[in-house]
Amino acid sequence: MYGGGNTFEGIKTDSIAQEDPIRLAEFEARIERGEKIEPTDWMPALYRKQLIRMIEQHAHSEIIGALPEGTWITRAPGFKRKISLMAKVQDEVGHGQLLYSAAETLGKTREEMIDDLISGKSKYSNIFNYPAFTWADSCFISWLVDAGAIVNQLANAKGSYGPYCRALDRICAEESFHLKYGHHCVIYLATGTQKQRDMFQEAINRWWKPMMHFFGPSDKISAHTEVLMRWKVKMSSNDDMRNQFLDMYVPKIWELGFTIPDENLKKNTETGRWEYTEPDWEEFKRVINGDGPCNKERLEVRRIAEERGRWVRQALKKAQTQYTVPLA
Amino acid sequence: MNETALKELLYKIADDQLILGHRNSEWTGFGPLLEEDIAFSSMAQDKVGQSYALYQMLQTLSEKDPDTVAFMRNSDQFHNSILVELPNGEYDFSLIRHFLYDTAEAIRFEMLSESSYQPLADISKKIRAELRYHTLHANTWVKQLGSATEESISRLQRSLDLAMPYALGMFEESPYEKELISSKIFGGEKELKDRWVKKVETIIAQTQLNLPDWKTLQPVTGGRAGKHSEYLQPLLDEMSEVFKIDPTAEW
Amino acid sequence: MKSLDPRVNRLPVVGKPGEISPKVPLDQLGTFEVFVQPKEGKPFQHEGIVHAPDVEMAFVLAKETFTRRFTCVSLYVCDTRNVYVSPLTEATSNAYDLISEATEKSTHKTSYEIYHLLKRGKQHVHVGTVQAGSPQEAMAEAKKVFKNDKTVYNIWAVKTSDIRFTTDEEKDLWLTLPEKKFRDASAYKGGDKLKEFLERHNA
Ligand SMILES: [Fe+2]
Ligand SMILES: [Fe+2]
Ligand SMILES: [Fe+2]
Repeated sequence: MYGGGNTFEGIKTDSIAQEDPIRLAEFEARIERGEKIEPTDWMPALYRKQLIRMIEQHAHSEIIGALPEGTWITRAPGFKRKISLMAKVQDEVGHGQLLYSAAETLGKTREEMIDDLISGKSKYSNIFNYPAFTWADSCFISWLVDAGAIVNQLANAKGSYGPYCRALDRICAEESFHLKYGHHCVIYLATGTQKQRDMFQEAINRWWKPMMHFFGPSDKISAHTEVLMRWKVKMSSNDDMRNQFLDMYVPKIWELGFTIPDENLKKNTETGRWEYTEPDWEEFKRVINGDGPCNKERLEVRRIAEERGRWVRQALKKAQTQYTVPLA
Repeated sequence: MNETALKELLYKIADDQLILGHRNSEWTGFGPLLEEDIAFSSMAQDKVGQSYALYQMLQTLSEKDPDTVAFMRNSDQFHNSILVELPNGEYDFSLIRHFLYDTAEAIRFEMLSESSYQPLADISKKIRAELRYHTLHANTWVKQLGSATEESISRLQRSLDLAMPYALGMFEESPYEKELISSKIFGGEKELKDRWVKKVETIIAQTQLNLPDWKTLQPVTGGRAGKHSEYLQPLLDEMSEVFKIDPTAEW
Repeated sequence: MKSLDPRVNRLPVVGKPGEISPKVPLDQLGTFEVFVQPKEGKPFQHEGIVHAPDVEMAFVLAKETFTRRFTCVSLYVCDTRNVYVSPLTEATSNAYDLISEATEKSTHKTSYEIYHLLKRGKQHVHVGTVQAGSPQEAMAEAKKVFKNDKTVYNIWAVKTSDIRFTTDEEKDLWLTLPEKKFRDASAYKGGDKLKEFLERHNA
């Protein structure tokens, strides 16, 4: 899962002037016609760079995203939840696999990407830097963080880069299971004992702030991305996605009798847009730059996993196989 | 049909599957290679799913429902072999355990697919198909890592030596062994073990690993009778932490 | 590390926190292309790649990476380096128009599997087999046999012997897949519970 938002900060468009104008025109015409770009097509350097950045961040978000929910994998209550959570977290790892492959077609290897993740050079979705204190937190993630990711992924699936779209088609099909599973878990908590209801209310109180951060800084303060919109790299504005999410899920949370910790949250019937207390974007920046409650742990876990697996990968390596850029 | 004998058999198989499925799920998100992370998780899910099906069968024999049975018993009421409750260790140990266990499991369900207890025969046929991937996976990996680098070979060898006495504990005989065999519910641990030894030998012969001398090995038993290592109770406490917040609640 | 995740608390101490030894190019395994057959009688379709040391491992790893969820009947893999790729075209131009007729006819022929990309952004789909002495000749043969009024944007050719197929005995690998309902959205219908709750509350 992935929220977007921060990805495009500070892009420099100067390099476009250096591109071959004829090829650039062909490239833009192809996107304009609605045809996808495939790996062997010519593409502007900026397009390649921003796509790698975006798909890579998305991939990292999937494998780091497996960790907060993984916190409860050995403690899921009952057979149904136990098996489903295992399958759900596994899917997130699988999404990482698919997305790394899509990014690889642009010329960056999976191993380089994982190195950049662990060294802190690449980012991932901010929300996974928060801890999952109780079982109810894992339910919040499965339902609502995944719901947010789906809003983003459905938009991106209409983008211009073929391999990314193909990966997202597969991913979105699996996400429908995550969403239903998560909602199912929450319905059981909501309709259960007072203790269960309290657990979920507390989870909402903890997760609402990162959830509002999830789609990235408001359009007023985020970087201008016209060229990326034209190239169908960025498909929807942060505020539009946030609004869409609120529209779809706030009523569902309210219907279960839970409250959302923002007194100003309401839908403006005239504009059709949601109004809310402006999220603290300074905190968002602080957390994404490493100062969140779980940043260290998340990267450390990933680092240990990579180090522990090293002898396995070394043993697998054979002289006759050679890394090749995937085809599609 | 000797129902006590049948139940004893079902419990030990289901408990094995549940505990090892649980252990293997601990790898999800931490695996040595993304693709292997996924594969190992699938097999863990299969195991937990199979244990669920067997507990459901026990319920038809008037045992408690699967959730209560799995999440509310203490370690001395579990009949799994000690092999499956041991901590995961490094990947070499998890892989060797997976190989030794799943080889036995595949043969066990093959034998059970001929069981005179029809529901068990039916489910075993299905499980056997599922296990085809598990053994393909285990054999391919053991062959790869068992003849690759000095490090991988010595790691696998160490784990093999460590796991083997526990693996033999899988075949600890039930007090109802005779009844199970004579009523054709199950062909018995002895036959299972003999077939398992042959299979393990065939695969290990294709690697640079050495099998210990079977004759000198002392099986670690007790698990089938509820006598476990210090690792099982903490595993169960962790597994049931949320469930026990309110066992009467629906989660 | 003190974590909320008991699994994390059990992780061994490895190296120094924050310190990594770069993985490149030490860890870089090969890439293998994965093709899946969704139903008996339907063509194989390209689904993605796995990283693996050889074609056998690629098969084992591809199985759960690509076919754990949606029903399918068969899967195969081949080394990315063994896929011969035609030029890529766009709009109304057909990739077959860029393939020249075979000039020399080889006497030693082997079979090649041919795949078409019919829409950019979609998957390459298997269309059939041709006999040829080289990948170029296979493309030219394919042009004779498979070119029709549909625009093909890209053609792949893979020597049949370079593919690791599912064997007949392995066909039951997917037998129980339809029963693994817990991976299905439809298994999570909370409607009744929700309805009952809402009725109780709105009463
Ligand atoms: Fe995901
Ligand atoms: Fe998800
Ligand atoms: Fe297994």
